[in-house]
Amino acid sequence: MRISYLWLKELTGLEWSAEEMAERLTLCGIANEEVTSTAKYLDKVVVGEVLEVHPVEGASRIRRTIVDVGREKLQVICGAPNVAVGQKVPVAQVGAKVAGEVEIKAAKIRGVDSAGMICAEDELGISSDHAGIMVLDPSAPVGAALKDHLEYDDYILGFELTPNRGDAWSAIGIARDLAALGGVTVKRPEIKLRESLEKTSIVIKVTSDDLIGCPRYAGRVIRNIKVGPSPWWIKKKLLTAGIRPISNVVDITNLVMLECGNPLHAFDLEQFGSNEVVVRRAIQGEKFTTLDGLERTLTSQVLMITNGKHGVAVAGIMGGLHSEVTEKTTTLLLEAAYFSPIVIRRGRKELGMVTESSARFERGVDPNNIQYAIDRAAALFQDICGGEVLGGTVDCYPQKIESKQIALRPDRCRAIMGTDLPAARMKAILEGLEFQVTGEATLAVTVPTFRSDISTEIDLIEEVARIHGWGNIADAVENVGPLYSPANAEDIYENELRRILNGIGFDEVLGHGLADGRLAEMMNPGLPQVKISNPVSDDLSIMRNSLLPSALGIASHNVSHRITDLRLFELGRAYFPPCSGRDWTEEERLSLLVTGNSPANWRDKARPVDFYDLKAAVETLALHYHLPTFEYVPTSVAYLEREISFTIHADGQPLGIVGKLTDQLAKKFDIRQDVYAAELYLPVMMRLSRALGKFSPLPIYPAAPRDLAIVIDQSIKVGEMLDRIKNVAGPLAESITVFDVYAGKQIEQGKKSIGVAIVYRSPERSLSSDEIDAAQQAIMKTLRDEFRADIREK
Amino acid sequence: MSILDEVSHIEQDAIKRISEADSLDLLRELQVQFLGRKGSLTAVLKSLGGLSPNERKAVGARANQVRELIEQKIEEATSRLSSAKSSSSFDPTLPGTGQYLGVTHIVTQTMNDICGIFERMGFQIARGPHVETEHYNFEALNFAPDHPARDEHDTFFVEGGRLLRTHTTPVQAREMEKRKNDLPIKLIMPGRTFRHEDISTRAHVSFHQVDGFLVDEGITIADLKGCLNAFTHAYFGEGLKLRFRPSYFPFTEPSAEVDVACYLCRGKGCQLCKQSGWLEILGCGMIHPNVLEMAGIDSEKYTGYAFGVGVERPAMLKHGINDIRLFFNNNLRFLRQFN
Ligand SMILES: [Zn+2]
Repeated sequence: MRISYLWLKELTGLEWSAEEMAERLTLCGIANEEVTSTAKYLDKVVVGEVLEVHPVEGASRIRRTIVDVGREKLQVICGAPNVAVGQKVPVAQVGAKVAGEVEIKAAKIRGVDSAGMICAEDELGISSDHAGIMVLDPSAPVGAALKDHLEYDDYILGFELTPNRGDAWSAIGIARDLAALGGVTVKRPEIKLRESLEKTSIVIKVTSDDLIGCPRYAGRVIRNIKVGPSPWWIKKKLLTAGIRPISNVVDITNLVMLECGNPLHAFDLEQFGSNEVVVRRAIQGEKFTTLDGLERTLTSQVLMITNGKHGVAVAGIMGGLHSEVTEKTTTLLLEAAYFSPIVIRRGRKELGMVTESSARFERGVDPNNIQYAIDRAAALFQDICGGEVLGGTVDCYPQKIESKQIALRPDRCRAIMGTDLPAARMKAILEGLEFQVTGEATLAVTVPTFRSDISTEIDLIEEVARIHGWGNIADAVENVGPLYSPANAEDIYENELRRILNGIGFDEVLGHGLADGRLAEMMNPGLPQVKISNPVSDDLSIMRNSLLPSALGIASHNVSHRITDLRLFELGRAYFPPCSGRDWTEEERLSLLVTGNSPANWRDKARPVDFYDLKAAVETLALHYHLPTFEYVPTSVAYLEREISFTIHADGQPLGIVGKLTDQLAKKFDIRQDVYAAELYLPVMMRLSRALGKFSPLPIYPAAPRDLAIVIDQSIKVGEMLDRIKNVAGPLAESITVFDVYAGKQIEQGKKSIGVAIVYRSPERSLSSDEIDAAQQAIMKTLRDEFRADIREK
Repeated sequence: MSILDEVSHIEQDAIKRISEADSLDLLRELQVQFLGRKGSLTAVLKSLGGLSPNERKAVGARANQVRELIEQKIEEATSRLSSAKSSSSFDPTLPGTGQYLGVTHIVTQTMNDICGIFERMGFQIARGPHVETEHYNFEALNFAPDHPARDEHDTFFVEGGRLLRTHTTPVQAREMEKRKNDLPIKLIMPGRTFRHEDISTRAHVSFHQVDGFLVDEGITIADLKGCLNAFTHAYFGEGLKLRFRPSYFPFTEPSAEVDVACYLCRGKGCQLCKQSGWLEILGCGMIHPNVLEMAGIDSEKYTGYAFGVGVERPAMLKHGINDIRLFFNNNLRFLRQFN
């Protein structure tokens, strides 16, 4: 909300500067966002009189004018259609800076010298109006500085109000907080009404058929109105608040709303169509044209003002086109009402619109300020529009909304704030905010009805704290609460994983958790998805049920930016809806992805990464966490190549999936290189992880290393062969490792040569060469028999 | 000239010429000249025959001392000259061939930094679901239905009646309910949150947050201020001023927003702080009695404070990052700057 600084000064009498006012309001909860001078673009702008207007040859849109600015007469080119001889106009002289930070310079336009600019309101920062040049009052003194003539040397204070503070959406509302801060009281404008003998209640009747939506509806009638422009003092207040002046009638309703927060509405009584106002809910499907000219279809959520036959306004949101005040209006029906915040909120959501009026009703206006608001407006109609105010107000208010009574215990207030604030200060603060307070040990507080946000003791404590100022509460210097809190095991585990993976050259990435439902279905057909009911776009339609689409998306982004050698991991969740007996589930997972070339340097040349690079990372984790032996069980997954697609099993439990992505899928992500990826289930991994075990004594007897070169069929799995070797060698074999895999020259087609190193050692004695030879023989025999191996011993 | 004088003369001459030598060849020559079989010092030693045993002993000792000194000087000069212009083919200037060290995502690093500070103050980390119920995300946190406060939480709803949590505070409601009989509770809740927004430089559908709270007897605003002061100084730097602006959150009362004096201009106003001198970093307040009561905690006996800090925003402020999308694009040229 924006409001004039001078207005706040006028209401409070406080001599604070605009900056000081803004700062103090910020520190009491009315957050100031901007302090802008209204005269920002008025420097070197003076009142001029248009003496001559001439056409410019060959340019129909512009005209040459001679303008008297007092000291001199200027020749100025003007493009506005409304410029005319005799007008008093604002002239920006050379050197002036107008809105948009445009500096006025002496220029030649179409060969004609121009020494200034005749300005429209938007160029002066007064409003957003650019329809034509601003035409000033005929009495404006030629040559005077515009800001002096307009008395427009003010500041606009812009505030971002919290949604609970409906009471602060007005000049008086903000002034109340200022008054509490400054120890003064708000000076409300005086109202002097001269009511005529004709009674309002004879002319109009009001009824609310929906006391929930409309607990109070008040009306006044004003005759003999002359519609015209508002005086400048009203326009100024509207302009600083960002509201465009329209006519004295509309401006006065807006002014009163800005002043005290109660939205008003003025109908042309002659166009109203009856002499009764009936408030009711709209009928489902009812059609109504609002004053912006749009025909709207209403639902029963929307509250209507009717003339007993048909709608005349959408209550609290927008008036209707047909009963709008026009230049011809002479008799006004003035409405001041209290509508339920919830009903207005639902209604304006239904209609998809927010107005100055609906924003205030939605946050709660003061139901008991309605008489003041309607009288204030009536008095202004009387004084400014020459109106005759009929006697009395018709007021449908069958159940008065009473002030709340709340007890405030000073001890409780101190216990929340952590200060020794005396009860007298609490009382003073609350009274400053126009609460009534009695009692001493416990304060009995009457909450004014403009503070609908306050309903319990803690609300009062908040008021005391914000006016006292958080800055005046000393910071505690001691830590409170438990002395020690155990660490979170998952957090530690994940951070350790990060360190290991970083150490072996993997970069951490973070997906945002949302994914494309169609792609997810293609990758994991039939896997349940958490579907978003209101997605922002098609490619963010579900919560991901696998981390791999995220990993691929990220790889794709990097590859498209020519970062092609990737080793990525992500720790994140996969999401599942309730399904076959399981509740909503979020599984913590680890994804790994490698693609492109292996890390290289001047000595070690790059080579394309393969399955074993990824497997190495998985094995590093297995080693670190002492996981049980992994089994790579061939599996069939839509997104992995059939040959290179495995479920990792440990202790018989599936721990994750690893393999090579299909070229087809990679291509979908614009990746034209091999991609290997794994997705591991963290809870399973954590469960299977073992801490460091007991120490084994260092060997005292010597080791006996032996190598075997084994030529076998390509189709034989080395792992299976190693398992057999281990089995046959028994406990004497301390380690069995593969040191070479070769196929090609010197090896028969369809075969491969595997170099296996076996280290024999006993913890109890030195092994004799006979023992070792026997073990070797047994292994070789097994390999020949079971794997049809051709073996050379080394 | 006595023989001892002659030895001293040789000593001085040798030291001077060795120090001036500019090549290894010359040093070898000097070695021969002074210490060689026909060298000057050798000649002195050979001429001791005519002296008394006492004189012989004294001159011999002195000559040996000089020999050792010359040897030492030659050695030093040799290493000086050879290192200056090595004739070795070994090249230590080639880069090392170590492994690339991967980077932890800057969001994770920031979150860990924030959590680390609170953990050292005795907070424990708690987690909760991202797909939340309306109850824990809103109702249990005192968001009345149809209250304008809900407008500030643009929400993704999912089929089946849940929503994506709009803040990490629902974990507070869950944990309070779970541990209501095991007070005090002192937790921080880091994690991912979601807002139904169009993706732009300033907004994303997903971002991270660290919320925290403490429930115990006798907790006050003063305690909250002390805690957040300690945090801010640890995270942004000592000596930076804080200001608490009263504000509104449905789940805390009284509530405040916390601004820290801009660490770049120290409050004078600059581009980073949009000339205000302040950076908005935290929301906080005393836990609303309704929220305690809904969790089954006696709000007369216990009070508590709660706070929430963004993760992307402080990271953006600290590292001058101007586009929130960079965090989720995961361009490695971006991520690797934080290694
Ligand atoms: Zn700054």
